[in-house]
Amino acid sequence: MAIVETQGLTQRFGPTVALDGLDLEMQPGVTGLVGANGAGKTTLLNAMLGLRVPTSGSLTVLGLDPQTAGYRLRGQVGFAPERNVLPDEMRAVDFVRHLSEVRGLPRSEARNRASDTLWLVGLGEERLRTLGTMSTGQRQRVKLAQAIASDPKLVLLDEPTDGLDPVQRSEMLTLIGQISRDFSINVVLSSHQLEEVERVCDNVVALDAGRLVACGPISELVGAGEGITLELVDVADPAGSVDAVVAALRAGGLEVRRHEATLALRGAAFEELCDRARDAVAAAGARIRRLDTRRRSLEDLFEDASR
Amino acid sequence: MSDTPAPTAPVADGEAAQIIDQGYRSYDGPRTGLAGSVRSVVRYSVRHTLGLGRPARHKVLPWLAVVIALVPAVVFVGLAVVLNVDLITEEILPDYHQYYGFITTALFFYCGIVVPDILVSDRRSGMLQMYLSTPLQRWSYLASKALAVALTLAVLTIGPVLFLLVAYTIEGSGPDGLIEWIKIFVRIIVAGGAISAAFTAASLAAASLTDRRAFASVGVILLLWGSGFVTLALVEAADMSANIYAFDLGGISDELKNRIYSIEGIDPIGAQGPGPDDDFSPGAGRAGLSTTFVAAANLAWVAVGSAVVWWRYRRLAMSR
Repeated sequence: MAIVETQGLTQRFGPTVALDGLDLEMQPGVTGLVGANGAGKTTLLNAMLGLRVPTSGSLTVLGLDPQTAGYRLRGQVGFAPERNVLPDEMRAVDFVRHLSEVRGLPRSEARNRASDTLWLVGLGEERLRTLGTMSTGQRQRVKLAQAIASDPKLVLLDEPTDGLDPVQRSEMLTLIGQISRDFSINVVLSSHQLEEVERVCDNVVALDAGRLVACGPISELVGAGEGITLELVDVADPAGSVDAVVAALRAGGLEVRRHEATLALRGAAFEELCDRARDAVAAAGARIRRLDTRRRSLEDLFEDASR
Repeated sequence: MSDTPAPTAPVADGEAAQIIDQGYRSYDGPRTGLAGSVRSVVRYSVRHTLGLGRPARHKVLPWLAVVIALVPAVVFVGLAVVLNVDLITEEILPDYHQYYGFITTALFFYCGIVVPDILVSDRRSGMLQMYLSTPLQRWSYLASKALAVALTLAVLTIGPVLFLLVAYTIEGSGPDGLIEWIKIFVRIIVAGGAISAAFTAASLAAASLTDRRAFASVGVILLLWGSGFVTLALVEAADMSANIYAFDLGGISDELKNRIYSIEGIDPIGAQGPGPDDDFSPGAGRAGLSTTFVAAANLAWVAVGSAVVWWRYRRLAMSR
């Protein structure tokens, strides 16, 4: 059974269309909600919580309509917002306990689980510290802890790695994967970092300016070999050799995406791509540093959608 | 210490120590429902408002209000014990209804300085969105906040007078007989509750209209003090109808207290009502209002204040 289903879901703010007739299904597991800033991710999360009334269309979360059964639904959902909402003067354990109680746990149970959850997210030793004295990474963990402490069926995480350094980001993603795998909690993870979603998510929903770009298991949408990656050495003689290679390949009808001296080629079978790349490089007098098979990424989904 | 340490599995000899079980597990037990959610927000808000569990600077103002309301009662009780005469009957010390003059000062101070924070801080910090992502809805969130304010205000409006009643009773200056004692007790509770309800609604209404705590404080103070001055000027100087006093929150709630104590035309700090020779007695015109009108005016303050808060929060968009 899908955990989230929408049909023609539209959300307008005056003339702005934040969500444009979304038809999607999110399956159990970790679902990545990806898109650039302003794509409609937070609007969709708010609609899923019943905080916004959709302009039109239907939406069910865990089989419940957030507008008519919001009370029952939100008792089963944990939420960690993007912005910093932690009261500076409160201790971490008190904050998690308070929100667990508000989400319906009895007081003694909330107290125990607040402590257990903070140990789970790696803040066991820090649980008695006030939130104002914590680092950004620790505060993100506290937000995660309060979202899962009441043992929800679904957790909505809005940009949970925002402001984290690469090590903290990796740890947070590992935690999110663990929550789903070990405790069977479904997770919807909103992010504009495509590599994060590819790393941790089972499913993906990609939005672009409120429209649905892709929806489904990530294994079906990305990863399969597609095209080649060609890394060149930009030699000084002849000058502009990489430009010449790009021009020749595009003239031959291939799709070329360039990042400095690295080219991503699509548009033909693997063997043919290799042959044509080799010919273009030879003709331009450039040198090949690396030639590799290329896997389809989420970035490709967005590029395809924008064409 | 209320927090449980992380449980660990026993480690066999020769094994590297590692945490096997962090303690987190699924929960299938009972849930408290909406009542539990409301209870938790009320408890948290009361603690927050009184500065409990917060740095000392947050405790100063709320507890100053409590001191302002309570210290005179303690002094009066001390005098009663030391002088050993029936100070109320002798009209040396204020009666129960007359004590509200001291309470009003604390009430204005508390509503103006402390109460606005209870709504403003949640909107500014984003905690409101957090609360609304839980089983709480806008109405239950607001009801929790209003209950928290009303409870803390009731500490000011009921607590000191109740203290006087108990202390006077122990000292021997209390009401005559059980029936009289219960009458006074009920009046203290009803009058304190009524004043608390009107002030809660009015101060939350002012606090709901701005995200700036300072502006909210100014709004509450203007509402409480300003309404008194304006209505007084309109009635006494411009010779308008005494019904205008309905717009004076402090005055009309005080008048309701007088009616609850079955006293008409008596100034709250003990001055007698206007006599034939009095040229000017502030607010004395309220004595001419019917009790029904006074009660309705107080209810209107509660209703309008609640309506303003609800209107504001219905319009409030949850974006981030």
